[in-house]
Amino acid sequence: MAHVVLKDLVKTYGSFKAVNEVSLTVNDGEFVALVGPSGCGKTTTLNLIAVLIPITSGDIVIGDQVVNDLDPKDRDIAMVFQNYALYPQKSVYMNLAFPLQMRKLPRAEIDKKVREAARVLDMTQLLERKPRELSGGQQQRVALGRALVRDPAVFLMDEPLSNLDAKLRVQMRSEIKRFHQDLKATIIYVTHDQLEAVTMADRMAVMNGGYLQQYDSPAQVFAHPANMFVASFVGSPAMSLIPLEASTANGDTVLKSAEGWSLGLSQPNARKAQGATSRKVVLGARHSTIKLHKSAVPGAIPAKAYTVEPTGDVTFVQALLSGAIVNISVAPSIAVKPDEQIWLEFDQERMHLFDGETEMALEAA
Amino acid sequence: MSTIAETSPRGQARRRIRFDGWRWGGRIFLVFMLLYTALPMVWMLLTSIKSGFAAMQFPPQWWPDQPTLASYQKLLDPQNSVGQDFLRFFWNSLFVSTATTILSVIVAVPAAYAFSRFTFPGRNFLFFTVLLRNMFPAVIFLVPLFILMRAIGLVNTHGSLVLTYLTFGLPLAIWLLKGFYDNIPVQLEQAARIDGATRFQAFILIVMPLSTPGIIATAIYSFIGAWNEYIYAYTFLSKNEQLTLPVGIQRFFSENTTDFPGLMAASFIMSVPVVVLFLVLQRYFVRALTEGAVKH
Repeated sequence: MAHVVLKDLVKTYGSFKAVNEVSLTVNDGEFVALVGPSGCGKTTTLNLIAVLIPITSGDIVIGDQVVNDLDPKDRDIAMVFQNYALYPQKSVYMNLAFPLQMRKLPRAEIDKKVREAARVLDMTQLLERKPRELSGGQQQRVALGRALVRDPAVFLMDEPLSNLDAKLRVQMRSEIKRFHQDLKATIIYVTHDQLEAVTMADRMAVMNGGYLQQYDSPAQVFAHPANMFVASFVGSPAMSLIPLEASTANGDTVLKSAEGWSLGLSQPNARKAQGATSRKVVLGARHSTIKLHKSAVPGAIPAKAYTVEPTGDVTFVQALLSGAIVNISVAPSIAVKPDEQIWLEFDQERMHLFDGETEMALEAA
Repeated sequence: MSTIAETSPRGQARRRIRFDGWRWGGRIFLVFMLLYTALPMVWMLLTSIKSGFAAMQFPPQWWPDQPTLASYQKLLDPQNSVGQDFLRFFWNSLFVSTATTILSVIVAVPAAYAFSRFTFPGRNFLFFTVLLRNMFPAVIFLVPLFILMRAIGLVNTHGSLVLTYLTFGLPLAIWLLKGFYDNIPVQLEQAARIDGATRFQAFILIVMPLSTPGIIATAIYSFIGAWNEYIYAYTFLSKNEQLTLPVGIQRFFSENTTDFPGLMAASFIMSVPVVVLFLVLQRYFVRALTEGAVKH
């Protein structure tokens, strides 16, 4: 196992910058998720690490070696592809044996390692089958087996679960997590599903438009999103973002809406709002931090329920507020009808404030 | 309730009858097509086992009274002059067709792979110029190619034919194979290279076996094209001992009497390699043509 360092990594296609000065360090034995919407550069970054495409500029270090100019076969990495990329003409056994054959290991040792990998992944009875005779989950496991049979320095995984159905995905998610814990493997895992990143990774690198937005533990990313993109991307349902205007009168700072209402801010929040580059401030609040009232309460904002989505455990209410859609979760015992007048109370401790111009999170000065 | 119970089975029955009508129409059409293509072959086979006299009778003998293999014996007997000529023509055809096939596979496989996998300046332009030759009838190139062959001293050699047939067969071969390589996920090669293979090993060990059906289909195309070609062989070769089968068979037509059983026997023997190729390799052939067309 080894650590991986990306230094100012850039990949351009003509004038299009797919990856923009991405720098991050993956520690030895760490599980890092690269996460972001499609086209954000996460898969390109992974392919750069695997040297499947040439680097425009920057450095990639694996272990203590700069590997920029090394062929993929000399980088000591293993990769699990989204479509598994199992060799269709080869049996499961030969698929697992291929990386070892390429390294010219003696036949007896290959056999030992293949059978060991098959035992670990519980597919000894599948060794003679061809990939097309396997279910999606089994193919996934063979792909994982082909990666681990060689004991590489780094595992790269490119959306390995996205071709599975929902139930199997949850199951494989815990299997991969277990696999990481047992092997203490260094894993770089690409996904567009923030839930996979949050549940599996030690640290997550959120990317958008080729830029690294935030690189931190899932808990930190969730609690302290660096900017509006990260705030809206991580968490489900997404954090509600309400564009408002800050104004200070008589020492009190309030956020004013074009709709006429205003929201008073606590002292710490007021200091944050005053740090904005302009008067534009965006209020961010997760569904669970907003309290819904059916009658007027001091400090609560009037709104109209838009849609109501009961899920069993919890009911999600969406309301229109200052042009933005606000998600609120309420107990299923609280009956709310669409178009009903409601009042929303924001938790000053857990609300987020963003600079309306730079979209960056506002921190207390 | 009762009306529904009454009408629904009848509705189904009516639909089934109409569907069967289409199906029977299709069957009749196919049987007709089969007769249309197969009957000449049957007549060729029947005539080839008649005597020369029986072949000319009118009304014709539908079934030969005295079937004889004399024509085949004559053609395949290296002792007499007809047999010697025929066997030499057969050998010439086999040589020219096999050489064309091998060369076109050797050139088309890397060319198609390059067109499919690499981006290089002028790729699209090159790819379409490959097709340019196929946009014109073959005869148009007869005279220019003859002059060219004479200039480089290839007239009256089998090499001139192999070169010419390559210009016909290669474009199609490259297009067919490119479609094939396009359908092989690039991740397979990437996986192979990460697993420790060089680019060349990934191609030989992973991609080549997967494209076998495409290569076989390409080979059949090239072989049949070269095997059946007449006009260039007729123009480029004048020495008797060099002729290929399509031109050589012409010698069975003579001014006074045409040896029809001999001609038919020769035609039959000529069609054997192609038919055998098809029968042995047809499942690859069909797979190649359908796999190239459909995205998985």
